[in-house]
Amino acid sequence: VDKKFNTNKLYALASGSEPFEFTLPLKDSISIDGKEYSVLLEYDGLSGAYMIVFNGKTYPVEVIKKQQNKYEIVFNNISHTINVETPFSLGRIKTLESSKKKTDQAYLKAPMPGKIISIMTNEGTKIQRGETILILEAMKMENEILSPINGTISKIHVKANTTVMKDDIMVEIKPD
Amino acid sequence: MAIKKILIANRGEIAIRITQTAKKMGISTVAIKTAVEPNALYLSFADEVYDNTNDTSPISVFLNIEKLITIALQTRADSLHPGYGFLSENAQLAQNCLNNDIVFIGPSPDSIRDMGNKTIAREIAMANGIPMAGGSKGAINSVEDAIAIASKISYPVIIKAVSGGGGRGMRIVKEDSEMAKMFNLATNEAKKSFNDASVFIEKYIENPRHIEFQVLGDQSGNVIHLGERECSIQRKHQKLFEEAPSTALDSELREQMGSVAIKMAKAAKYYSAGTVEFLLDDKKNFYFMEMNTRIQVEHPITEAITGIDLVEQQIRVANGETLSFGQDDVKFNGWAFECRINSEDVQSNFIPTTGRLEKFSFPEYPYLRLDTGISVGTTVTTNFDSMIAKLIVHGKDRDDAIQKCSKILDETQIIGLKTTIPFFKMLFKNKRFITGDFTTAFIEKQVDQYYDFSEEEKLLAAWFVTKLFVEENLETKHINTNQDNKLNLWLMSKRISTF
Repeated sequence: VDKKFNTNKLYALASGSEPFEFTLPLKDSISIDGKEYSVLLEYDGLSGAYMIVFNGKTYPVEVIKKQQNKYEIVFNNISHTINVETPFSLGRIKTLESSKKKTDQAYLKAPMPGKIISIMTNEGTKIQRGETILILEAMKMENEILSPINGTISKIHVKANTTVMKDDIMVEIKPD
Repeated sequence: MAIKKILIANRGEIAIRITQTAKKMGISTVAIKTAVEPNALYLSFADEVYDNTNDTSPISVFLNIEKLITIALQTRADSLHPGYGFLSENAQLAQNCLNNDIVFIGPSPDSIRDMGNKTIAREIAMANGIPMAGGSKGAINSVEDAIAIASKISYPVIIKAVSGGGGRGMRIVKEDSEMAKMFNLATNEAKKSFNDASVFIEKYIENPRHIEFQVLGDQSGNVIHLGERECSIQRKHQKLFEEAPSTALDSELREQMGSVAIKMAKAAKYYSAGTVEFLLDDKKNFYFMEMNTRIQVEHPITEAITGIDLVEQQIRVANGETLSFGQDDVKFNGWAFECRINSEDVQSNFIPTTGRLEKFSFPEYPYLRLDTGISVGTTVTTNFDSMIAKLIVHGKDRDDAIQKCSKILDETQIIGLKTTIPFFKMLFKNKRFITGDFTTAFIEKQVDQYYDFSEEEKLLAAWFVTKLFVEENLETKHINTNQDNKLNLWLMSKRISTF
């Protein structure tokens, strides 16, 4: 049992997915269907990325953000946000998740820098998933930004003809 | 050859593409260096670089006709190649070249003007018995008129920019209530993209295939076709993947559509390389959509299966030569794919991404052609469109092309930017795609997930993050070495969530 974490298990948890369990100390190999395969991890200083060599293939991995036990990585061109949890913290998360699901506010963030062309809705308006909330112009294209959920527009943070940065919160939606 | 020196009025991969053919033909090239990307890759391929970094004009030099003519005269270029995009389909540029004794490597100003104006193109097509979808006679000016026409030709209809192209300014309308919103969106986008807000309406052919024919004509009136390109894999009306030939055509239909394409080109008095675009419905009816009067982004797949260098033909035709081969000499060999590697996030509905390219590594094979305008260290910004490379693969047949392309993608590494590569990995495993049974609705309606990510990769990502965490946090790293390290995969769901 590891002294700091008081456990010999760790869990890698990506949202919407079941956690993967790893036993400490962590080996440089993983087993699939009872067979052990070695994993080689290298850091490539030139590109600032890690290279995972596994089963004859090389996968580039970049660490984008890191906050305590939360990691945002791009693994072979696909983004993942993965939390590493202990058995205790994993249990707490599961309890929390089931209780808070309904009160969450959804934040609609700007997916890229651009200019707001027009806003197609108002505060207090009911909105369906897939309905256009606003038009964001970027890279010469007018992009319709659609509602990801069913809900009510609770707050609009942007105005037409203003610019936004990537990840600026544009609209808040209260889910149904 | 009267043409000795070409001014390239473009940037990126197409500028490089033009230098390569010019070099082969013993023609020198001039590239233009701009303040936006003074270290761009294309500059190193040209024989001469015109430094335009001091230009204070708010419009890009590639959109500035007078400036381009001045540069051509100053550098003593006897000809100008416009590439694609920018002013490639601008009749005024072609005309001004003519007026200044600069050979415009493309069709005549009249052909560009006629085909560039979608309502004139429709009139010419109609007068020549080219099959077309029903629609408005000319431009429409109001939502009321739009609704009136839509009720006549029946919904769904599509609003298109009169001066449009490249999928911009197009909106599909399914019922009266959507018309006002879509009409405004289309006119706004048309105004911004083409500096002409006028739009027209056409009957919308549902779930068609987008099939285009490459045509080639000379100034003596000879026109031939070089087969079709299948361009149905699109998102937001923008092509993402093209192949030649198409699984939807047999040799009979190919001949039929090819002869209509030739007829259209002849009606437009067309010379140089051009593209006649059609929609093909599920009953194999085809409708003329538009004619593009430039070299297309996807021209390499036609080059792959015909062995004809289209840029060389453009230069020869501009030089006044007649085509040295006829329709019967055109032979199709194998199957070619083009994957557009765009800096886009397939996990966020193909939204453009930006960043500095830290690694950009592709394998090398005789059947792979990589056309790109960027290299490691390039920062991809929102200044230009999102395409960073074209992967062109030539297989013996379609299955062979799929296998070769999948292997190449597995061996490709891009760091620093998210790209459309995971989309293509999905594509080559998709049943519909493999059987060739898809339409322009493929991306929006016919696939469940825009990217492929294996269980193995998911597991490796989880292991990697755990490894980092352990390295950073654990006090004691080497205890209980005899422990059982078996990994339990709890229920691994088939779907990975999107962020």
